[in-house]
Amino acid sequence: MFDLLPHLLNGLTLGLLFALIALGFMLIVGLMEQINLAHGSLFALGAYVAMQLTGPRPPLPTELAKPWLALPLGWRYAATLIIAPVIVSLVGMLIELCMRRTYGKDPLYGLLLTFGAAMVIEEMIRLVWGTRDYVLQVPSAINGGFLFGDLIWSTYRFYAAGIAAGVIGLVWLLIEKTSFGATVKAGAHDSEIVRALGINLSRLRLVVFVFGTMLAAIAGIIVAPIWGIRPHMGVDAVIPAFLVIVLGGVGSFWGAVVAGLLVGLCVGLAGAYASEWSLLSMYILLVAVVTFRARGLWGKKSVLEA
Amino acid sequence: MASVIGGTGSFFGPWRQNHAWAQGAKPIKLGLTCDASGQYGNSGQDDFRGIKMAIDEINAKGGVLGRQVTFITADTETTPATGSRVAERFITREDCTILIGALHSGVANAITQVASKYGVIYMNTNSSAPSEAGENCSRVKFVWDGNGTNFSKASVKNAVDSIGKNWMLLTNDYVWGHTTSAATRTQVESAGGKILDNLLVPQNTRDFTAYLLKIQQAKPDVVATAVGGDDIKALREQVAQLKLDGKPAWINNQQDWPDVWGAPDSLFGVFGTTWYHKLPLPGVAEFVKKWQAANKDGPIPVPGNVSYNGYMSTRELLRAIERAGSTNNVKIIKELENLKVSATDRMQHFDAYMDPMTHQMQQTIYLARRNAKPADNTDLFEIISWTEPKSAADDAAAGKCKLTPYEQVPTVDS
Repeated sequence: MFDLLPHLLNGLTLGLLFALIALGFMLIVGLMEQINLAHGSLFALGAYVAMQLTGPRPPLPTELAKPWLALPLGWRYAATLIIAPVIVSLVGMLIELCMRRTYGKDPLYGLLLTFGAAMVIEEMIRLVWGTRDYVLQVPSAINGGFLFGDLIWSTYRFYAAGIAAGVIGLVWLLIEKTSFGATVKAGAHDSEIVRALGINLSRLRLVVFVFGTMLAAIAGIIVAPIWGIRPHMGVDAVIPAFLVIVLGGVGSFWGAVVAGLLVGLCVGLAGAYASEWSLLSMYILLVAVVTFRARGLWGKKSVLEA
Repeated sequence: MASVIGGTGSFFGPWRQNHAWAQGAKPIKLGLTCDASGQYGNSGQDDFRGIKMAIDEINAKGGVLGRQVTFITADTETTPATGSRVAERFITREDCTILIGALHSGVANAITQVASKYGVIYMNTNSSAPSEAGENCSRVKFVWDGNGTNFSKASVKNAVDSIGKNWMLLTNDYVWGHTTSAATRTQVESAGGKILDNLLVPQNTRDFTAYLLKIQQAKPDVVATAVGGDDIKALREQVAQLKLDGKPAWINNQQDWPDVWGAPDSLFGVFGTTWYHKLPLPGVAEFVKKWQAANKDGPIPVPGNVSYNGYMSTRELLRAIERAGSTNNVKIIKELENLKVSATDRMQHFDAYMDPMTHQMQQTIYLARRNAKPADNTDLFEIISWTEPKSAADDAAAGKCKLTPYEQVPTVDS
């Protein structure tokens, strides 16, 4: 049992990271009924922008770059956690503006548009930063390892899990406890009535998409020191994100969180006890769940179950 | 009657394809099967830089046999199915008579199958699964990188004697990982060591914590990894974060330079390579300068082992065509099978030669570790040993490799 505990703990922290990656994806799918295939590329863009801002050559005029670089890494990192998602959100805004022509039409149009956007962003990343890998510098306070239960643990891993839990909590508060969240949910449920009530639905969709984009960028910044930064890192993110929301049930906030944790536990335990199955285990879990519950764990009843 | 049937058979028979291209002074067209995306996308492009440099050099001298050398390249996406499709297209629609390039052994093997079918020569530049020159060898394929067995032979016995007998293996779950780990296991056990466990790492694994916890719990003396591409980069980040470099000791079968360049701070353990840009040997500095001039503003500032293998394989291929005085595939194959390159010409410590039984280049195998006192920001390796080709040779490969007789190889001419 003592041998198992570290792996359970590892699975839970990994699960929180999966949930964080899926969160923005879930919001856009759940509230706008649009599958944003550019989520992974926006995730990667967040990591690249953060790397550029915290690195030795920030894209700033000389008079601003000097005082910025004079700041301790911890301050720069903290500021980057806010600035980088804001910068990436401008790209999200552009994608949403392009997507407007697809609303109310076959969902395939939106799907193709975001797929195209994903490819454009990835190629732009290659053009700007090349194909080489980068490392995101993090402050020494959250780097390194510590001893617990006779094992060395990654400090950063626990920091990342803590940030993921914090962001998940904040998003829940925003969606469930504010009038903005209530409007967004109402818009997803019945857009015509919301429009009739005088709410600008276009603006609402834009805000949701931009918010989802910022969450993707935050996830990219948090995960980058673990995975490393490379042009196709978005693909590594979008697949588990998609899996988590299907497993949790499309549109369900807690479904996505619980599914993220389940996937993390599954991958973590398989990695320890049946290592060759570690990545495959998440797909097996998905198949097992949707076979018996096509709507996912907390999803609404779907036509598949009629 | 029998002769009539026989004659008809050889004319219409599907079992022998004679793919001859029109003769003349048209350019010799090479198909570069270099990954541009996927797990080895970065390395594939570094491979391409070396190959292109060799082509440009020969063209600047007037080409081969008075003919210019041209090329076409396409992304094989580090996927065997795409590699196979690209190879098929290059040969049947683009009239490429020679293929060059691969990092992933699954991709290399897929390309080999296509090349063998048409008799097209294939230079496997950087894929280093022992099976590439063993059970998956081919008369048309030549393997240029050191393989898992070569690196194991250069490193394992010494590590068992000096570090400890209890080993764990961390193995990428595909052909290169499996065959390389099998070679390490053989070396460890024959040196009196013991394998505690072999943890299989699926390709595209990004989180190694479960594996690292398992390793910490098992407390081995040495962990031998056969993990490549993006996976080893993620593993290195996580080992560095936990400061696990040291105990246990790590032996990483091979570190390709593009994998190292992006994250030099996480370089750990002892690892193998076939070349280093700061080897104190004649010609190295000049080669580095030439490469830098050819690759200005590239993502990597100096050539590493991947670019080196790409360059050397292409250079030797073009020289072999020149020596053969022909673009006939069998004549070129015979030239390559008899290839001997002096240490000076190879910029390595020992003379190298092509093994005619396996078609693998037998060359100096270097072991390196992170350089604690770098001369500049590219000086990441400290070379700690160099093993001569005979001592690192994969003795079992010849028994596993069955080369098709020359007369059964379809004829190809450029």
